[in-house]
Amino acid sequence: MTLADERTTEQNRAAEPVVQVTGAWKLHKLGDEVVKALVAADLTVLPGEFVCLMGPSGSGKSTLLNMIGGLDRPTKGTVAINGQDTAALTESQFAALRHDTIGYIFQSYNLIPFLSAVENVELPLMFEPYDRTALRRRAVELLELVGLGHRIDHVPPKMSGGEQQRTAIARSLIGNPRLILADEPTANLDHKTGATVVRLLRELCADLGVTVVASTHDPTVADEASRVVRMKDGEIQ
Amino acid sequence: MIKHGLAYGWLSTRRRVPSMVLPIVTTATGAFLLVLVLGMAAGISEQAATLGHADEIRRAVVLIAVTVLLVGVVEVAVSTTRTVASRTRELGVLGATGVRRPPVVAALLVEPVVAALLGALAGAALAVAAAALMSVTGMADSGISVGGTALGVVLAVVVSAVAAVATSFVPTWRAASRPPIRSLTAGA
Repeated sequence: MTLADERTTEQNRAAEPVVQVTGAWKLHKLGDEVVKALVAADLTVLPGEFVCLMGPSGSGKSTLLNMIGGLDRPTKGTVAINGQDTAALTESQFAALRHDTIGYIFQSYNLIPFLSAVENVELPLMFEPYDRTALRRRAVELLELVGLGHRIDHVPPKMSGGEQQRTAIARSLIGNPRLILADEPTANLDHKTGATVVRLLRELCADLGVTVVASTHDPTVADEASRVVRMKDGEIQ
Repeated sequence: MIKHGLAYGWLSTRRRVPSMVLPIVTTATGAFLLVLVLGMAAGISEQAATLGHADEIRRAVVLIAVTVLLVGVVEVAVSTTRTVASRTRELGVLGATGVRRPPVVAALLVEPVVAALLGALAGAALAVAAAALMSVTGMADSGISVGGTALGVVLAVVVSAVAAVATSFVPTWRAASRPPIRSLTAGA
């Protein structure tokens, strides 16, 4: 392959959607009743977008987000990440895809309580044969980026909600992901802290060229998004 | 990768010492009883022989030793199950961040094994001290055999470690195989 070919391939890759959900359904059986958690959802997310899935509880936004991240599988339809159809992937292959491509931010932070902030940031790569000094340096850099350079040795129970969520953002970035999935990132934070966290997330992702898909019912998140996708009763409006 | 799993397991074990107290105490209790029973077994059997009930008493002593051993194994299994259950959310986070299953399982096996070994050693040490005290003060009329005590110590340590791995592996593997979303939402 020539240099020109490589450039073309790179350009095509850049134009390729990071996320492509096509006709995705998720049905749950509750006794005799079938609940439609997601109905024929179509969603395309391009590189660099900050897409906000907005809707009330039970609208299907978390279901869609979990499907994109492979934490849940569609009953029908397809989900492609970086052009790769994930239907044929085994759980272990999807785990590898998540590891290499996706960073996760959770509503309840999900930090490990007995690890310090910097160890929590290192966690996704702790099981890999990376140089420990370089990994520590990168984790400290990320904590400094999210304004927690002075809290690297603190454990989550000694940190505020905002600090914990910022630590979770740093953790989501440690593997240089192409895509960040944030599930209700501000739900456990007060308005002001939530706004700060979302702004930080948007700025960081813009600087680092990371695509973000966030589920929320918080208008603050929607204000920072480049595109808002509204959902209701499992359907994209 | 397993090596890094074990390193994480050792790190988390050092940080979770308070949660290891109960497993250590329960394992130590089993080890203490096992070492004492085996230490006294020879003397009791000898004394029983003079009374003409040697076989009966020997069978009773073996039965007591096996029962103590089984109780110890069950205690280790209960402690292990509790440890795995308390780390469900952690498993969910590791799964969601794409960490593979083998190193995760290796990491989670470290704590039960360390707790079992510490408990067995502590219980055995206490039992040896108690046996020595009983010998010196003449509280054990039938005597305490060094060979029996040593066998008890070896059995306590080996059985505890093997029981910890054997009873941890399946629940840990199962927990690590669960979809991350289920682990993340467990207890939420």
